[in-house]
Amino acid sequence: MAIVLPGRRPAKRFADSKVVGGKMQHGRRTVNADLNVVPMVDMMTMLVIFLLMQFSATGEILYMQKDIKLPDAQHGQTIEVAPVVAISASQIVVSGQKVAEVAEVERGEDFAIPGLEEKLRDEKKRWDFIHQNDPDREKNWKGDVNIQADQKVPFRILKRVMYTAGQAGYFNVNFATLDQSNVAAVARTD
Amino acid sequence: MAGGGAPVPEGGRGKKKRPLDAVINVVPAIDLLACTISFLLFTAVWTQISRLQVQTGGTGGPPAAEEKRQIQVTVTLGDKGMVLSTSAGVSLEIPALGKGADGQPQQDLKTLAQKLKQVKNEYPDQASLTVAAEDGILYADLVRVIDTAVGVGLASVSVTAAG
Repeated sequence: MAIVLPGRRPAKRFADSKVVGGKMQHGRRTVNADLNVVPMVDMMTMLVIFLLMQFSATGEILYMQKDIKLPDAQHGQTIEVAPVVAISASQIVVSGQKVAEVAEVERGEDFAIPGLEEKLRDEKKRWDFIHQNDPDREKNWKGDVNIQADQKVPFRILKRVMYTAGQAGYFNVNFATLDQSNVAAVARTD
Repeated sequence: MAGGGAPVPEGGRGKKKRPLDAVINVVPAIDLLACTISFLLFTAVWTQISRLQVQTGGTGGPPAAEEKRQIQVTVTLGDKGMVLSTSAGVSLEIPALGKGADGQPQQDLKTLAQKLKQVKNEYPDQASLTVAAEDGILYADLVRVIDTAVGVGLASVSVTAAG
């Protein structure tokens, strides 16, 4: 890739000509220079390969939140699209909407969480509406729900969330974790 | 971008042969790479999140016809440690290793993995496990126990409350 001085210059086929090419130089030293772009192309190719390996076609189903720190797991499966119940130290959120305070849930005598149940039932209604023309709708209903809880959330909260999800028709609970399978694979090879 | 060609040989009659070196225009390739890098950077997912699938207590488990060579394996998770019990009569206590910096008990997951492997070797068809957790158990500890069970090959995990 050449860098050339702006302005008039001979065409490529005349550049080497002693007759025509030299006329335009007027005795000046040429300032044209060739830039070696091979290392840059190499680097860009490496970057593309690295980013392609990182690429995920499913996109982000769960968004990392500041107040939720997920635990690590080495044998997790790929996460699938399902309603997300996010449990932090202070509140329970479904699909970005707050449904309950953790402190209230702990104080409450009722095992089910009404706000959560209502929201999950709405999600199920939406799924039913989308699949209303599907003859195998009942068969295709898997009842998946993703629980994205902070690692310090106690089981007494979790069990209420799981119970409420079950009441709303979501029996397959998926615990969200940080995927450490690559770390485990590297450790095994060492 | 020019390839390193051999020097142009001179002809016998003093005529120069046409050079065989060719210049490849790499600008379109650089443009394409730059666009691809921009797209991939925008769509990159840096945090890999996985899931551990569990059934809520009493709703999971394979049908009875498939449970010929299977037993019921339960891991009870408490503050003092774990208890591994099976319907074959085995009951084994796995005490906690101590308290961590945050005051929470550190479960002995290595021993649990060894014992679950023994169960799996004895009953190769076994795929289900029930984790019964006490109220104070943290989500992180529960996930670690489930992860250990899935790693051993007991992939169908049910979670229920202890007691």
